[in-house]
Amino acid sequence: MQYPEQFDVIVIGGGHAGTEAAAASARMGAKTLLLTQSIETLGQMSCNPAIGGIGKSHLVAEIDALDGVMAKATDQAGIHFRVLNSSKGPAVRATRAQADRTLYKNAVRDILEHQENLQIFQQSVVDLVVENDTVVGCETQMGLTFCAKTVVLTTGTFLGGKIHIGDQQQSGGRAGDPPSIALAERLRALPFRVGRLKTGTPPRIDGRSVDFSVLESQLGDDPRPVMSSMGKRSDHPQQISCHITYTNADTHQIITDNLDRSAMYSGAIEGVGPRYCPSIEDKVVRFADKSSHQIFIEPEGLNTTELYPNGISTSLPFDVQLQFVRSMQGFANAHISRPGYAIEYDYFDPRDLQHSLETKAIAGLFFAGQINGTTGYEEAGAQGLLAGINAARKCQDKTPWEPRRDEAYIGVLVDDLINLGTTEPYRMFTSRAEFRLRLREDNADQRLTPMGIDFGLVGHERRSYFEEKLRRVDEFRKQFKATCILPSSDLDQKLALNLRKETTLEEALRRPEINSQKISVALALTETDSNGDAHIDALAVKQLEIETKYAGYIKRQDEEILKIRRHEGMLLPATMDFAQLEGLSNELKQKLEHHKPDSLARAARIPGMTPAALSILLIHAKALAKNAAKASTL
Amino acid sequence: MEANQALNNDLICAIATPPGQGGVGIVRLSGKGAGEVAAQLCAKPLQSRTAVYTDFFDAQELLDNGLALWFPGPNSFTGEDVVELQGHGGPVIQHRILNALCQRGARLARPGEFSERAFMNGKLDLAQAEAVADLIASSSIAASKAALNTLKGAFSEMISAIALDIANMRVRVEAAIDFPEEDIEILQEAKVAEDIARTVTALEAILEQANQGRLINSGISVALIGQPNVGKSSLLNALAGEEAAIVTNIPGTTRDLLKIDLVIGGLPIRLVDTAGLRESSDEVEKIGIARAIAQAAEADLTLYVAAADTLEEGLASSELVGNIELIQESDSQPNNILLVVNKSDLGAMRNLPKDIASVSVSAKTGEGLDLLKKAIQESVGFGQENVPFAARQRHIQIIKDTLVKVNAAAQALTQNQGAEFVAEELYIAHQRLGEITGTVTPDDLLGKIFSEFCIGK
Repeated sequence: MQYPEQFDVIVIGGGHAGTEAAAASARMGAKTLLLTQSIETLGQMSCNPAIGGIGKSHLVAEIDALDGVMAKATDQAGIHFRVLNSSKGPAVRATRAQADRTLYKNAVRDILEHQENLQIFQQSVVDLVVENDTVVGCETQMGLTFCAKTVVLTTGTFLGGKIHIGDQQQSGGRAGDPPSIALAERLRALPFRVGRLKTGTPPRIDGRSVDFSVLESQLGDDPRPVMSSMGKRSDHPQQISCHITYTNADTHQIITDNLDRSAMYSGAIEGVGPRYCPSIEDKVVRFADKSSHQIFIEPEGLNTTELYPNGISTSLPFDVQLQFVRSMQGFANAHISRPGYAIEYDYFDPRDLQHSLETKAIAGLFFAGQINGTTGYEEAGAQGLLAGINAARKCQDKTPWEPRRDEAYIGVLVDDLINLGTTEPYRMFTSRAEFRLRLREDNADQRLTPMGIDFGLVGHERRSYFEEKLRRVDEFRKQFKATCILPSSDLDQKLALNLRKETTLEEALRRPEINSQKISVALALTETDSNGDAHIDALAVKQLEIETKYAGYIKRQDEEILKIRRHEGMLLPATMDFAQLEGLSNELKQKLEHHKPDSLARAARIPGMTPAALSILLIHAKALAKNAAKASTL
Repeated sequence: MEANQALNNDLICAIATPPGQGGVGIVRLSGKGAGEVAAQLCAKPLQSRTAVYTDFFDAQELLDNGLALWFPGPNSFTGEDVVELQGHGGPVIQHRILNALCQRGARLARPGEFSERAFMNGKLDLAQAEAVADLIASSSIAASKAALNTLKGAFSEMISAIALDIANMRVRVEAAIDFPEEDIEILQEAKVAEDIARTVTALEAILEQANQGRLINSGISVALIGQPNVGKSSLLNALAGEEAAIVTNIPGTTRDLLKIDLVIGGLPIRLVDTAGLRESSDEVEKIGIARAIAQAAEADLTLYVAAADTLEEGLASSELVGNIELIQESDSQPNNILLVVNKSDLGAMRNLPKDIASVSVSAKTGEGLDLLKKAIQESVGFGQENVPFAARQRHIQIIKDTLVKVNAAAQALTQNQGAEFVAEELYIAHQRLGEITGTVTPDDLLGKIFSEFCIGK
């Protein structure tokens, strides 16, 4: 049957990409349907129970700046919060939280169920309905057809999923859940390039069988950070510790002795795994000189004894898993509650997408998340948000939002994927962002919230908080400029400036030894409110400090950005036959053929590109355009 | 006015006339602020589309005098603001004018860049697009070759080594930023500081060696080498046109190195006569031979001199081939060798090694000397559209900029400004150097991180 109501946006999949996509399009007023195999697994964390970390928390902050789900849910579910890189500068500082899986799921479901314009339906999707290269809806297992103007596909690892435990294999999208075989086959028939990737998980351990007394424990940070800029510490549930153990010579021996039984080493797995997340067998083989590897023991939640030992993902058979787990300190009597496994899955070559995440081949169809070859909740969520925004904008007949590399990590992520594709599950690192110093957690709201307000994506509460923060920053900026400090004055002494002649507070802040905290103390500003959360004044002064300290670098990047924008405006026509261009090396021709850049800026990011080659491209592009103009006037 | 459509509209400059000692030498300047920058060199104010006769100054120093022509855009060759400074020819003067312009914000143009801008701004017709693209392609290849040729021998190896060092430092710093939780001592600050110091030393050494004006001011070095009595000194005298070397017919007369500076077609050359290559028991002569080989290795160009009358019938002389190989082995640029067959009045060129360029001359009659002079110029890229000067200068500028950034990274490290600042400076240094060596992408760097450190949970 055909469902009687029409939708603007259908989101298929209820993982991190799907939930952000559905919530975003619904926030923008689009009539949205979220289709999921199981409502119980909405917002499920299928890998380790943590959100954030370096590069990733930057994505979370950006999702948050656009009023997305992830940061809010993390504050509801986080049981251990830390700031990584706290000894380094603000651009590379990153918040990371361990989350209680159940609380996280509940928080996501709660947000979705209270979202206006959003309906949820539980049923596997088996087919897309496509007419004239345009998606018009989808069909579920029971033969139900839903019609919509746009469809966002966020099926994660469920397409053609295959689980490996040693030499045993089974189909699956996640241990315990069926894969989406029918949909995978249907999609393989559409004109998209499909590849195969692999990822792994460690065996989970029953905490009751672990001797914590011999393990190093790791406390959360004090003062405790929050994930969302709107988050309060009082949102956080009870906080608990993580632990650390190590592999040892015995562990490594057990693994080496059984390598031939690992799915990865026996050749049973064809997909490519991530370089930054090697399995324990990979670590032991590739870094044979290392006698020990650090393993983080992450709690799965407050009301479960299950533990996630981060660092021993494996595709070894169960008996070997048990042996090597028990060889580690504190784990002599460990009970494995779920075996570790490697999973292979289909992904679609992201180069078949536009920067809006709409597919090039089928209008109205968007892909987001792991399906595009990425890994990580944060990467998935960011794409989901973008796809949701652009699906809604398409229904509103508006141009897509394509965040730039100098604007947001979301822009870096999408641009990397679409420009270069990926050969391993793509994960965000700050080193991928050439404008790292401006893409900070602390200014995500300044970078993106105005856009979110413009899109109708940001709610009233966040909007007024943001505007208040901006107002306070501006007031302090003026005040600091106007505040003269005389030698031996009260402020001079409080800030220990040892002035010889008068200066302004603005000037004083430029000094390396002066920071926002010293100024807050000297001006007797309120640093925290009664709940221990940072006061908006303290945040505003902190923002001023960061702006001041980075000013020189930001200015230089501004010049670079201007140049890149010029290049972005220089479009390469789709008709351009790179192979026929005189004056380019064969190697470059092949790379250009492969990537098919649509602008000079994108061509410039192809490895091995030279200034001379860019000039040649531009000249040919201009000649083509002139010829086309001539032809049209004839 | 049509918006400037070129890739960049920053200020570029180059010598527009063929190289060498000509009657008139034109330096052309195009881009934003061309008029303002050129005016700083001219004693009189520039006038739009009018030839102004003026002195050219760099600060207080008089460089030259001649005509200054100012064409405000878009009515100019490139469609941008263009100034031509038409002075007296000669590479030294033109080089100084370029230097003065670069100090005031201009940069040396890439090959074909003026034509590129002209085309992009609609000043050249469509049919010329292909030609401009070809020009850029061919001259960039020629330029980088020539730059490498005219720069010190081991230049390209040194640059690659420095690029690798910077990459390794970035691997440590970036890994420290992106993977602070790994239980490895990635960022050993002392190690990075040490690497930075080494890189600074290496960059300074290159600059010292490449010494900006060396090619123009002191010229290229050309070593004369060969077996005794083939007429090396006579050849030197013929080229120099004076009796600078002692010429006798006793083998082994020139025991020490004899240097003479001369200008061939505007290219300053330091010609070094060396001892003859011959097994010798004479201690003094032995030292001379060792120095001769070393000199050949160090020179921008080696002229291996053989005598036509001693060339054997049949196969190429094994001694000749052996000696050339010996020189090539000790030279980092083994291709910069030219075989000169002297005494063409006494015999014909025959039985020469096939893979070495050769010229036939007679020092005695002067026959073939013009060909030899031309071959000398071409061997260092001189005479082809100014390519070596400009290319070389651009390379040196890149090395200078790299040095500035590496020093800034050192400062950020010692002042504890934060790893992200060290990373930023090294990134820019790496990008700049990448204009010579090819760019390293973030993914390349991540690949190095993952292969070097066991990262991952």
